[in-house]
Amino acid sequence: MRHGGLFAAPARPGPPAVPRLRAMTVKSIDWSQLWYPGPKRAFTADEMARAGGDGPSTTLVAIASINVALMFVMALQAAPRALTAQVTGLLALVVLMGVAAGRFLWWRPWRRPLMWVSLACSLAVVLVALVLRWRLDDREERLALHFVMTIGAFVLLLLLWFMVVWRAQQIEARLAQQAERDRAIEMARRLAAAQVEPHFLFNTLASLQHWVQTQDPRAATLLEALTGYLRATLPMFSRALQPAADELHAVRLYLQVMQARLGDRLAWQEDVDPALLAQTLPPGLLLTLVENAIEHGISPQLSGGRLLLRGLVLGGDAVFEVQDNGPGPAPGSRDGVGLTNSRERLALSCGPKARLDIGVHPEGGCLARLQLPRSS
Amino acid sequence: MNAPPAAPTAVIADDEEGPREQLRAALRQAWPELQVLAVAGNGVDAWDAFLEHEPEVCFLDIRMPGLSGIEVARRIAGRAQVVFVSAYDDQALAAFDAGAVDYVLKPVRAQRLAQAVQRLRSRAAAPTESVDTAALQTLLAQMAGQLQRPAPLAVLQAGVGREVRLIRTQDVIYFESDSRYTRVVHADGDALIRTPLKELLAALDEQLFWQVHRSVIVNHRHISAAVRVDEGQMHLTLRGRSETLPVSRHFQGLFKGQ
Repeated sequence: MRHGGLFAAPARPGPPAVPRLRAMTVKSIDWSQLWYPGPKRAFTADEMARAGGDGPSTTLVAIASINVALMFVMALQAAPRALTAQVTGLLALVVLMGVAAGRFLWWRPWRRPLMWVSLACSLAVVLVALVLRWRLDDREERLALHFVMTIGAFVLLLLLWFMVVWRAQQIEARLAQQAERDRAIEMARRLAAAQVEPHFLFNTLASLQHWVQTQDPRAATLLEALTGYLRATLPMFSRALQPAADELHAVRLYLQVMQARLGDRLAWQEDVDPALLAQTLPPGLLLTLVENAIEHGISPQLSGGRLLLRGLVLGGDAVFEVQDNGPGPAPGSRDGVGLTNSRERLALSCGPKARLDIGVHPEGGCLARLQLPRSS
Repeated sequence: MNAPPAAPTAVIADDEEGPREQLRAALRQAWPELQVLAVAGNGVDAWDAFLEHEPEVCFLDIRMPGLSGIEVARRIAGRAQVVFVSAYDDQALAAFDAGAVDYVLKPVRAQRLAQAVQRLRSRAAAPTESVDTAALQTLLAQMAGQLQRPAPLAVLQAGVGREVRLIRTQDVIYFESDSRYTRVVHADGDALIRTPLKELLAALDEQLFWQVHRSVIVNHRHISAAVRVDEGQMHLTLRGRSETLPVSRHFQGLFKGQ
């Protein structure tokens, strides 16, 4: 019975949880940031494509360039005249390294690449120190150049660290925004799917139109049932729960509409324990089960079929059953949109104890069974 | 031969009485000379009505029990003009936007129906402009393939005297319509069942069982030859059996030779 089976949690994975930057929260200090700094979350290629596909903005590039130029000038002012050429060379090297590392990290704003860049910069500083020792004899000059190089590299790493943190937050914010928008679209889609099915509405209207034109007395019955049905279902989706009495009222009107349309191809019977009328359940749930039974159990049969709606108290649980004598769920068939929605809404409003099983009835046909704890 | 132009003929199929009669009434207005030869309440009856009446136009609801409108259209295979009728502008209809086949939405609007009638008339007047049947068949086959169908019937139950015999469908050689019953001829003899042939057709495996006549469905593994007799007649001979089965004109395309 793969089709129904036990109540399953929604299979679709929700939007990925957005981990916060631990270093930025006050409550617990993530000491690893001290020796391994940077955002922990490595974005996947897909996430980067969705939220980080843009290069640095022109403003960012312009401001960064101006700051670097100013620092360059200040460093030259402070350095001894004799070393101008060397200082210029070293700082140019630092800036070039900075640009390369910045471009590299822009597309990988998390801490592992940041670590590699830091190691590469440190290595460069050591290499320069070795070269200086080999080429320069004056100890004072060497120390001054060491100083410039070290400070330059340090400032560079600090800036890169800032950039990585800022960029990671930017991408995370965008991803969160997208997830929020996806949720809103999904919710709207579900609501739309729960609304009146167009096939139902237009087929009913086609019958209605004909019977009005031919002054068939069935027109009045059908119009009354349809109006009642629309009125009963309109407020449904704004409530989280509603009494079974209201739900059954909507179901009855739906069945009256179908009865008028299908004539003797549909026979239905209702047998619900009156103790269950006050039972609350997610609105539209039973209706969906009945609609399913009509669409997949009754309509496909050449000579029509029977539908049985039952409600009974079973220990501390309320049980509602919708049974038809149709072909039954095909083996291996999967839940449609309606059923998937129903399961999710049931889990949301009635907790994990509530369950919805769809299976083959021993006498043939489909049996949908909704079991949930009695509401007090 | 200059026969007087006969009145155009049609079959209407919808599984609900209201929409079906609405369409019929609307057609009376939009196309007064159209003769509706039959109305059908499901796809099985629609296909049977096509075989019986050979109408020029078929108005087919898409969602019908037995065979869907798409499946009926695929069987008709261009031998009549098809207009689909649907309550909702779903994907199935979008496929026909190219104009290969027309469609109207329920409830039927007089203006839209008049347009469809206009198109049907012009196509009937100029058959050379008729649709690309092969392309249409491919499209219909694709769409029929998307439908969820129950598994083909595996076992038949035939009451013989006081016992009920179980006959595996794969052992059946052919089915033949016999007034109110269907005669099932199988390897170990024959039996009568109550299910009408046209309903069996929808439940059988299409790959194995071929309809060759309005009242004959044959397991193609048992066919030994199709024999053409004069005046467009054709019959089938079966392996190891003396009787022959008629192939009506509609189904002779199944046996073309290569």
